[in-house]
Amino acid sequence: MHQLLAFLSASGNAYIDVSSIELIKSQRNMSGILEDLLEIVGSRASSSIVERRCYAADASQIEGLPDFVVRPKSTNEVSRIIRLCSKHLIPVTPRGAGTGLSGGASPVKGGLVLDMSGMDRIIDIDIANLQAIVEPGVVQERLNLALKPYGFFFPPDPGSSAVCTIGGMISHNSSGMRCVKYGTTRSYVLDLEVVLADGRVIHTGSKALKSAVGYDLTRLFTGSEGTLGVITRAGLKIVPLPRSRRLVLACFEDAVVAVQAVLKVFSCGITPSACEILDKTTCQVLRRCDPKLAIPDDGDLILFEVDGHENSTVKEALHIAEICSPMALDVRVATSQQEMDAIWAARRLVGAAVAKIDPAKTRIYMGEDVGVPMSQIPDLIKRVQHITAKLDIPAMKYGHIGDGNLHVALFIDVMNEDQWERLRIAADRIHKVALQLGGTVSTEHGIGLARAQYMPEQVGQDALQVMRSIKKALDPNGILNPGKLGL
Amino acid sequence: MESIDMILDLKAINRCVRCGNCRSVCPAFEELGWESANTRGRIMVMRGLADGLKADADVLDSLNSCTTCGICTDNCPAGADVPDLIESARRHLVSQGIMTEAQERLSRYIFNSGNTFGEQKERAAWLRGRSRLKESSDFVYFVGCMNSYRYTETAARTYDLLRCFGVTLLPEEKCCGSPLLRMGFDARKLVNANVRQMKQIGARTIITGCAGCYTTLKNNYPAGFRVVSVPEFLAEHISELNLKRLDLTVTYHDPCHLGRHNKIYEQPRQVIEAVCKLAEMKDNRQNARCCGGGGGVRSGYRDLSLKMARRRLKDVPEGVNWIVTSCPLCIRNLRDAGAGSSVIDLVDLVAIATGQHQE
Repeated sequence: MHQLLAFLSASGNAYIDVSSIELIKSQRNMSGILEDLLEIVGSRASSSIVERRCYAADASQIEGLPDFVVRPKSTNEVSRIIRLCSKHLIPVTPRGAGTGLSGGASPVKGGLVLDMSGMDRIIDIDIANLQAIVEPGVVQERLNLALKPYGFFFPPDPGSSAVCTIGGMISHNSSGMRCVKYGTTRSYVLDLEVVLADGRVIHTGSKALKSAVGYDLTRLFTGSEGTLGVITRAGLKIVPLPRSRRLVLACFEDAVVAVQAVLKVFSCGITPSACEILDKTTCQVLRRCDPKLAIPDDGDLILFEVDGHENSTVKEALHIAEICSPMALDVRVATSQQEMDAIWAARRLVGAAVAKIDPAKTRIYMGEDVGVPMSQIPDLIKRVQHITAKLDIPAMKYGHIGDGNLHVALFIDVMNEDQWERLRIAADRIHKVALQLGGTVSTEHGIGLARAQYMPEQVGQDALQVMRSIKKALDPNGILNPGKLGL
Repeated sequence: MESIDMILDLKAINRCVRCGNCRSVCPAFEELGWESANTRGRIMVMRGLADGLKADADVLDSLNSCTTCGICTDNCPAGADVPDLIESARRHLVSQGIMTEAQERLSRYIFNSGNTFGEQKERAAWLRGRSRLKESSDFVYFVGCMNSYRYTETAARTYDLLRCFGVTLLPEEKCCGSPLLRMGFDARKLVNANVRQMKQIGARTIITGCAGCYTTLKNNYPAGFRVVSVPEFLAEHISELNLKRLDLTVTYHDPCHLGRHNKIYEQPRQVIEAVCKLAEMKDNRQNARCCGGGGGVRSGYRDLSLKMARRRLKDVPEGVNWIVTSCPLCIRNLRDAGAGSSVIDLVDLVAIATGQHQE
């Protein structure tokens, strides 16, 4: 029998009562549980070592070997699985597409991975009520393709939009480039159907666009990373697709000037639909990946996008160019839709692109999601530069500067233990700098286990205690995604 | 035994950052839904093998359910060369005698008979009644196993089209080795046998109508020959073919080993448009979905293979007379998935336009 306990546990404060899990470790009980799971979901349950390994991790460095992988198709199946897990005190780790970057879907206490990506029906597109009802496994891009003919869209747009699921987005309160104008996933969740830790099924909201009825359970479950319940259905607010978009590319000598320009644009009353910074290294990587890409590679680049009616976007784009001109090395408005699409496509996938330039290096997602108040961005960039230079770790810096979010891409030779060690130190220092600057260790990727150690400092001991009380009330046996959020 | 690190290239494996982008395109994953049937999962399995994971039936199913279509490679932000990784992992297992029954059977057929079907009859039986072959020529038509034994009319039509350009055949053509290479076996014996004959004939250009043969001859054979696909050759000589315009609309399915692997997208379209109207499939060129037949999947996992083919057929636009492609394996799989005789080879279309073949 393999080890049920995770081979990687950094929280040091495991909530799960390990001794109770030991109860299920006998071969007899394990095979009995598999039989029960097969009875619930048919062939969509597995305890094969190959499948368990394939579900051991998301896109982060956090790993844990599950005992079972189950792919439910309905709320009823989820409820029955959770009841079974509750009875046998089996840890349950819900998972969408496994694109997370914090270990949220990594089963660090073993047990069962609940792969929700097969619950992928778009149940209703209700234009009259400005909402869509979906199952959690629906992929973001697929939802938007379905909404497009109606002239609507669901705005939160992570770089992984082609793959990530709505359930995973809600669980991590994901966002993306357009959230500077449209807000994060949280702003779009109207109602959730949730299976609780004892198998009961509740709804947290309604179809009304606003509601004032006691504790806001919808917001509580949003961003809870599967630690309080399993989301099986969501009602999402949708908004009209803008008719036109314009992109302004402004290149600056350094990040300090770039941020000044961004602040000036905002203070002139323009809210861009995206406002991204790409540092020199990032621009160089993009250019080397696609030499046809018309971006400068000798400065820090800001991409301003404005959306809305044709006339207003033309005016706003020109206004932005005018504001930036005195400060910028170069400013221009993208000439065609095709050019805009090419730039955004490259930007979305830049995170992993470094391996195309240097095959010996792999981008490791650690210290990659910090955020600070926008005015602190130049300071953050300077300090990140100092940290990575001192530790001799190459870094790209890019991100949603419009909401103070900086993605630091560190890349190393993963066969070199010394580089790993320096990477861990760099990531830790970057997280601490963000906290010192009054910011956050995660703006959109979540805490999981990767950032759990910063929770006491991030939210404070008393607030963390409140979170633990909520967890205890909703999941008294601690079976739901144990080991996460520093609980 | 060779150390595992010698064969499983950990550096290449480590390019994968587990971002999961491959989930959005992998055709096998689309049907099966398990991570083990997706590229990211397969790479995790390879890492597992390097860590000592026992290569059991589930490992084989994971690695062997990949058609090596390469669509994940085209969509991989980290630039992982997935077909190469999959083939090297299969090689690693085969070198230890670990393989599925289907792999064992197909390799036995090829090693014993020189073709993928284990056929004992004469490979060029379709040539009977035609003029004697030239013993030396600049041009060789490499027929391939599928057209030699299953689509002999297409072989004959191709030969008839190419004959006026002076092509000849290899007197003792053997399987090109593609199925062996894709499934992890050593194909040197076959490659050497074919290359020896090419040299004897004095060939400089090898022309083939099979996408699998094409990529193998081009990328796995020793340099020294120009390898040309039939669509490329026809496009180069389009003005010499005396094509009649046909009142038809057809669609074109890009074979993965011609399209994504070798970037042959425009030449078949050029030939089709010289003959009739072309209506594109929903996903085409570099985004074309795999027919499900390649990489040994048709022989090892027939149900999965046909499911992928049925999904590909949903991309066919309304109102077309034929689905044209340029790979006999794609033809076979799409036909078996329900398209029947509506799937034809590009050569069959051209033969109608030259009057060589009646509709």
